[in-house]
Amino acid sequence: MAKKKTPVAVRRRRRPKQEISGFGPMMVVALAASALYSIDAAITLAIGVVPTIVLGFTGKGDHKSERLQCVGFCNVAGVIPFMVQAKARGWEFVAGDIFNIVLMFGAAAIGYALVYVGPLVAAFVLQGLNEDRTKKITQQKQMLVDLWSHEVLGDKEEKKPQEGKGFIR
Amino acid sequence: MSGENAPVPDSQSAFGDRYEVVTGSPLPEFSTRGGDAYVVRDKEKSGGDLYALVHHPSIPFRNEVYKTLKGKPIANLICPLDRGLMNLQINGKRTQRLVTILGRPTGGALMGLDGKLNPRVNANRLRQNVALSILKAITALHKRGFMHRSIMPTNIYFSTPNSDDVVLGECYSMPPGYMQPFGMEALDLALADGTARGVGDIESDYYQMGAAIQALYFGEKVWKGRNRDSMLMARVNQGSFWALNGGREVPGALGSLIRGLMADELAERWGAEEVLDWFEGVGKPKRTTMKAWSMNRPTNFKGVAVVDRRLLAHAFARDPAEAASFLKSIDFPSWVQMSFKDEILTDRLESLLNVKPDSGFGGMRSDDYKMVTRVCMFLHPTGPIHFKGHSFFLGGVSSLIAEAFSRDDRETLSAIVELLDAKFLQTLADISEIQGVKLGTQLSDLRRMMPFAASKQLGKGMERVLYELNPILPCVSQRFSNVWIGSVIQLMRALERIAANGTTRNILLDRHLAAFCATHGVDLEREFNNLAAAQHNPAKFNSLSLNFFGLLQQRCKMEALPSLTSKLVDGLAPAVKGLKNKKRREQVQAALEKSKKGGDIARLVSEVNMVKVQAEDAREFAQAKNLVTKLERERKKLMKKVLPNDPDARKAGLKGSRLVAFAGLLIVSFLTFF
Repeated sequence: MAKKKTPVAVRRRRRPKQEISGFGPMMVVALAASALYSIDAAITLAIGVVPTIVLGFTGKGDHKSERLQCVGFCNVAGVIPFMVQAKARGWEFVAGDIFNIVLMFGAAAIGYALVYVGPLVAAFVLQGLNEDRTKKITQQKQMLVDLWSHEVLGDKEEKKPQEGKGFIR
Repeated sequence: MSGENAPVPDSQSAFGDRYEVVTGSPLPEFSTRGGDAYVVRDKEKSGGDLYALVHHPSIPFRNEVYKTLKGKPIANLICPLDRGLMNLQINGKRTQRLVTILGRPTGGALMGLDGKLNPRVNANRLRQNVALSILKAITALHKRGFMHRSIMPTNIYFSTPNSDDVVLGECYSMPPGYMQPFGMEALDLALADGTARGVGDIESDYYQMGAAIQALYFGEKVWKGRNRDSMLMARVNQGSFWALNGGREVPGALGSLIRGLMADELAERWGAEEVLDWFEGVGKPKRTTMKAWSMNRPTNFKGVAVVDRRLLAHAFARDPAEAASFLKSIDFPSWVQMSFKDEILTDRLESLLNVKPDSGFGGMRSDDYKMVTRVCMFLHPTGPIHFKGHSFFLGGVSSLIAEAFSRDDRETLSAIVELLDAKFLQTLADISEIQGVKLGTQLSDLRRMMPFAASKQLGKGMERVLYELNPILPCVSQRFSNVWIGSVIQLMRALERIAANGTTRNILLDRHLAAFCATHGVDLEREFNNLAAAQHNPAKFNSLSLNFFGLLQQRCKMEALPSLTSKLVDGLAPAVKGLKNKKRREQVQAALEKSKKGGDIARLVSEVNMVKVQAEDAREFAQAKNLVTKLERERKKLMKKVLPNDPDARKAGLKGSRLVAFAGLLIVSFLTFF
């Protein structure tokens, strides 16, 4: 017996594509690589990147991958020096000092700060660029008006500079 | 407007320099409907009596006859010697006219315009000289394929005061049979309007010869003061010979000659052979008998019992509305059967005639006129076509149109437009063919005119038909009333003179001028279509006018026309002003100013093709407008304040942050490991 076709209205709506950052697999690879370097370093890395892992699981909204990468890169940058220390003295030595943990997590916090500051800076820069572009557009329009008269703007006649003024005295 | 009429050229032509027309000394006995005769002096060659015929521009002349007679003159016929354009002072007005120089017989007309007979004319001279001279002239003309059709006692002259030799007047200055008196035309031709009698046939010349000799014999204008209807009745019932002479006998041999020549039946009418036999005294006089034109029983139309089919056709033609209601009121097939017992009304003929009984829906319809025309053609197949009060032969339509235009008779012109219907004319041809008469080759000429006639487009319409059917006719536009425009070159020169004195604005909208150019130019249809399409856009129209005149100047390989060029360039001012691109406007203006001094329109067009420039300008302007719209949209978008939450700013910011973070990672890694 042939399968009954699902009615169009009942068909499952396709879920929107999830953003794939590739940060998870990268983290696994990094952990594996650091394990080859030193087990202690790998454990230190695993403890140090907890904020990133948490973000990876809980992060929502647009630009998730950028945010994750930003926090992740900062977080890893904060962990790396302690990995070398962990190889020499053991992971317990590093993890045992709360100050070290604060430094590693603090690096992730810098990443979060960058996530917040980045759009602010970008908005400021873009505003500047837009102003430049507006000036150029005005110049371009003026050139077109010079070549084609005001008609090119859709006006029937060229407006006199004093036109309309002197109405209210 | 003062500058509208083309001024007469300042200088005389070479022809004008050679001949001096004395306009103060008219020669009315040589004047015709086609032109006025004046005394002329040949400055180069003395001796020989001449007269000049100053042509009327509205009447077409017979160019082929001119060519044959100029090349090889005919004895006993006044032949043209030369012709050309000349500036004349007529009635105090300076005009340019076509003038033909002809040899002038000095013996005087056989009959004066006042009807006074030349004292030297007598029966003996008529018998011995006049008849023979006319015969010589017309047979020579017939051999060349032309008919004279203007043989009148007032148009026959003694060659010298002392000679018995007689010459026949010229016949080339007007269409054949143009406005000849009713009595002086063979019966079938006489039934047509005076302006539309067509080429006619050889026999019609012999009829005129007989009628002219008869008038000379009686010494009076036998055609004068006679009522047309009673004359027609008399000609049909008694024969033209008796009708014209009023029942007076012409005794002797001359009487036999005139009777033979004036026989109404073509088969019985004398020709050259019979006239020569008569000279030799072995004449075989034919009796003028009545052919069976009579019907088996009379038809009562408008209270008159008509027996002759020709008279009935004529009566129908005179009152088509009454005729239509009469035809609709009778049982047509039964009427035909009863009235024409010798004829069988076949199904085909019946369907061709298509006489429908009255449907009871009131007044006269357009098709009713055509129905009357068809029935008239059936009744009198050798006669003219009778349509809407006009009677004409197809060969005479050209002169009928010319005459209608000269009187600005719109009614006649619209009747001709209606007549130029392929189906209708074919039906008439079929009806006459069934009766054994062929309408001839004129039908194919008229078929060619049909696409033009009803068109309102520039370069077409009845004006085009006028010039196509009368290729020798000058341009009869009011602008050229002072000058003679026989060719495109003359037209261009006249325009140059108009431009020098006045304005040439919208000159191509003159329908006569456009039709004349379309007829005499080659492949100008496309140009006229473009001009017609741009009629309501002065800027484009003026640009196209410049292109048009440039094309004509180039094709005619004409000299420089500075005034016309200047006026055409001035006319381009709105077009130049209309150019949106300021830079281009200045460039075009400069180029036009530079080129207009040369007077070479063709070169100017090749340098500044305004139509192309306008198109390019319009296209670029549209592109510029689109660009402005796009820029404005972008500007509005850019004018908004950029917030960190804006998707673009956010995206760019996050990307930047990621880059910074990655750079930090690299630096820390480097410093840690190395």
